[in-house]
Amino acid sequence: MSGRRIVITSGKGGVGKTTTTVNVGAALAKRGKRVVLVDADIGLRNLDLVLGVEKRIVFDIVEVIEGRCQLRQALIRDKRFESLHMLPAAQTREKESISEEQMKAVIVELAESADFVLIDCPAGIEHGFRSAVAGATEAIVVTTPEVSAIRDADRVVGKLNAERIPLRVIVNRVRPEMVKSGEMMSVEDVCEILSAELLGIVPDDEEVIDTTNRGEPIVLDESKRLATIYDKIARRLGGDVVAFTNLEAPGLIGRLKTLWKAG
Amino acid sequence: MMEAFEEASQASVPVRPLGRAIVVTSGKGGVGKTTTTANVGTALAARGARVVLVDADVGLRNLDIVLGLESRVKFHLLDVLEEKATLDEALVRDKRSETLFLLAAAQTREKEDVDTAAMVALVETLRARFDYVLIDCPAGIEMGFKNAVAGAQHAIVVCTPEVSSVRDADRVVGLLPTDWRPELIVNRLRPQLVKKGKMLSVDDVNAILRLPLLGVIADEPNVIVATNRGEPLALDATSVTGAAYRTIAAKIAGEKLPAPDVRPPSTGIIGKLGSLFGKRG
Repeated sequence: MSGRRIVITSGKGGVGKTTTTVNVGAALAKRGKRVVLVDADIGLRNLDLVLGVEKRIVFDIVEVIEGRCQLRQALIRDKRFESLHMLPAAQTREKESISEEQMKAVIVELAESADFVLIDCPAGIEHGFRSAVAGATEAIVVTTPEVSAIRDADRVVGKLNAERIPLRVIVNRVRPEMVKSGEMMSVEDVCEILSAELLGIVPDDEEVIDTTNRGEPIVLDESKRLATIYDKIARRLGGDVVAFTNLEAPGLIGRLKTLWKAG
Repeated sequence: MMEAFEEASQASVPVRPLGRAIVVTSGKGGVGKTTTTANVGTALAARGARVVLVDADVGLRNLDIVLGLESRVKFHLLDVLEEKATLDEALVRDKRSETLFLLAAAQTREKEDVDTAAMVALVETLRARFDYVLIDCPAGIEMGFKNAVAGAQHAIVVCTPEVSSVRDADRVVGLLPTDWRPELIVNRLRPQLVKKGKMLSVDDVNAILRLPLLGVIADEPNVIVATNRGEPLALDATSVTGAAYRTIAAKIAGEKLPAPDVRPPSTGIIGKLGSLFGKRG
């Protein structure tokens, strides 16, 4: 049976797609799943850095597609999790080097010998987005509780709905104290606007900056609260019913509602 | 020079020098391009300059939200390029500043719909009417990036002190015209994290990028609040971040100012960066 093909996307950049891909992937691998992470951000790759494997890249996805190497030659196995692999993006090529059909063929092939293929989508909704989505049958939409991120996520949700790709949302970088004081939208607000099912709530945590710079997924350290949160997300992806960590309180939705009425 | 100036001022239609078109870019998304564009533009306008902000993020516009002008947008960039609206119809005047204008992006169109030559011509037209044309570039290096850069003569590169942001910024600098000298804004610096060795310092970032430093903006939760409210911090006299944006605007306007003093020593994460950018680091 072939594995699940999930694209991690957001519209807006910098909301945590790559961090989510790495940590959800590592959490799944930790539970014994065979996972392949695919960096679809051709020309601006970063998944290798966050995973800490940047020095071990020999071949990339464009070379695979151009037949310069075998798919398995380009895969990098993580040293910490036996069942976690990653396929790097090309850094000095353009996103147009890969067609949607070519991307889909690679993803389908990877899924034959994996339980999960997680595709890290580039920011935006241009060609790179379309090819990253082409190989997926499910999506995780990552957003932060900010008006601009939600507006972009809404655009992406619309595009995924049009392609009939089922999706769930991870609300990232939530600051509960700001939600309480009414300065940040609550997770409920976000899900209501996107009318989408919730997959996870990840609080803002400055440890992520450090672990990202060092190329160490935060799930490696079980004492970290985010490790627990990514593990819960991994379990929900696997079909378990897991209660959400309660961080939220009602917040400022008025302005957004008027915004969406217009759009 | 002087003669030319006198001639110009005697003409029936006053001829003014063309404004500067500056693209605000980063490669990586979410590092603060739009916030920077809104705040630097607001601060320039507060100095009396005539400023137009162009949202080049067709399909994912946000500059209107950050300025709090979303309900006033009637026409957008593509309407102007496709001659469905005049420039005057599409320009939205800021609520707070008489001399600040927004040209919004289309929300339901694609970046590939923008004709590069028409974009260049539009920026030229705007330069004739404004002192500064600030172009808010989309994330990435695809068509939207190319169109945003096409009409500009100068770039501000926004980078956060994170390895991935530095790598993307470095890539973008390499894609800009070689005769440009882009200036750097290091955004969302947390000095206390830098001190603990858990965040790159400004020196670390610039050891890789080697760009003239235009400014350093500290990470402040108020930015999120300001963005959600659509009120740029540049106008807030009590905000440190607002003051930093006003300093950046003064430097852009040509004032000679000392370099910002937010530069704790190098952190050691640089080792990782150095190996990444071996040739230049």
